[in-house]
Amino acid sequence: MSAYVTLPTPMIETRHLVGALADLGFSEVEVHEEAVPLVGYEGWERNNSAHVVIRRKYVGRASNDLGFLRTPTGFRLIVSEYDRPRFGEEWLKRLRERYAAREAEEAERIRRSNEARRRAEEARRAEERRKLVEAQRRAVIEQARKRGYRIEELREGERVRLIVRRRVY
Amino acid sequence: MRVQVARWIERSRANGPGERFVLWVQGCPIRCPGCWNPDTWDPSGGQTVDAEELARVVLAVEGIEGITLTGGEPFVQAGGLLPFVRRVREAGLSVVAFSGFPLSRLLEAGNANAKEPRPDPAAPALLQLVDLQVAGPYDRARRANLPLRGSSNQRLYFLTNRYTFEDLEDAPELEIHLDGEHAALTGFPADTDEWLECIS
Repeated sequence: MSAYVTLPTPMIETRHLVGALADLGFSEVEVHEEAVPLVGYEGWERNNSAHVVIRRKYVGRASNDLGFLRTPTGFRLIVSEYDRPRFGEEWLKRLRERYAAREAEEAERIRRSNEARRRAEEARRAEERRKLVEAQRRAVIEQARKRGYRIEELREGERVRLIVRRRVY
Repeated sequence: MRVQVARWIERSRANGPGERFVLWVQGCPIRCPGCWNPDTWDPSGGQTVDAEELARVVLAVEGIEGITLTGGEPFVQAGGLLPFVRRVREAGLSVVAFSGFPLSRLLEAGNANAKEPRPDPAAPALLQLVDLQVAGPYDRARRANLPLRGSSNQRLYFLTNRYTFEDLEDAPELEIHLDGEHAALTGFPADTDEWLECIS
């Protein structure tokens, strides 16, 4: 029976890990709330368990399950000694890169979404301000008309100045 | 030198001839009953602004005819206002000032009775930089619809040749500024409440 070697990984978000695995060609991935046992190439359950599992049939004919165990400091890759040449540091480095790229893509999506929300909110407020100014402007003009004042209107961007005159000396 | 300031607006046509930068200073010992700006009475209110900085703010506003000092009572801060007013005059801007003190009190500021509200001793020096002075306390019993005055006891003094009464003939009663965040009314409206109702 071959030994299992565990390698620490700095990955903490399940969705990014699953996405990164898909980027590396593993689209059939199991995700479990509770860790499940990993299975060896002969079909026996190993002593190791994991929350994210790639079953051995998707890894290779003579391979064991690949797993990722969730720990307080991030997912740890659990790989058999047999599979380690294929899924060792080099593979893990590529996985981490894809994980980081996924994380960055999501951060960018969130930033864009927040920016779009901020712009929409700004536009809504600008429209509210415009409506308020227009309502106040109309009220002042109506008041001036009733009371016999002349109005001169000056606009500077969104700002409106209403200059009110009546006196004759 | 520093000036205690309540607020300013960069452009107004309702506070003197032409387009003017209007400065409301903070602090007034006269406290006329019926004053439009009681929020400017407390000398510790508002913000403290360096006179040179204030001059820079004014001189950055393009196309204005001059400044108007109002308040609050500008002449209790005459010493602080002097370098500011000198600087804007040097730049060719005119100066209109309002005061609740009669002109005679401004001219003899240093000799005033210490128990009464009094102008700063620098008031005569500040007055020398003023083109048009409006002087006298607001008296609501003599409320009037006159250019640049709220009551008929207040007097206009054309202290230089820059302006004459004709320059005030087309003076607006009031001006309303609207930007959707704030609505402001300035000038000398005879019927303030009705106008405030429109914008409140």
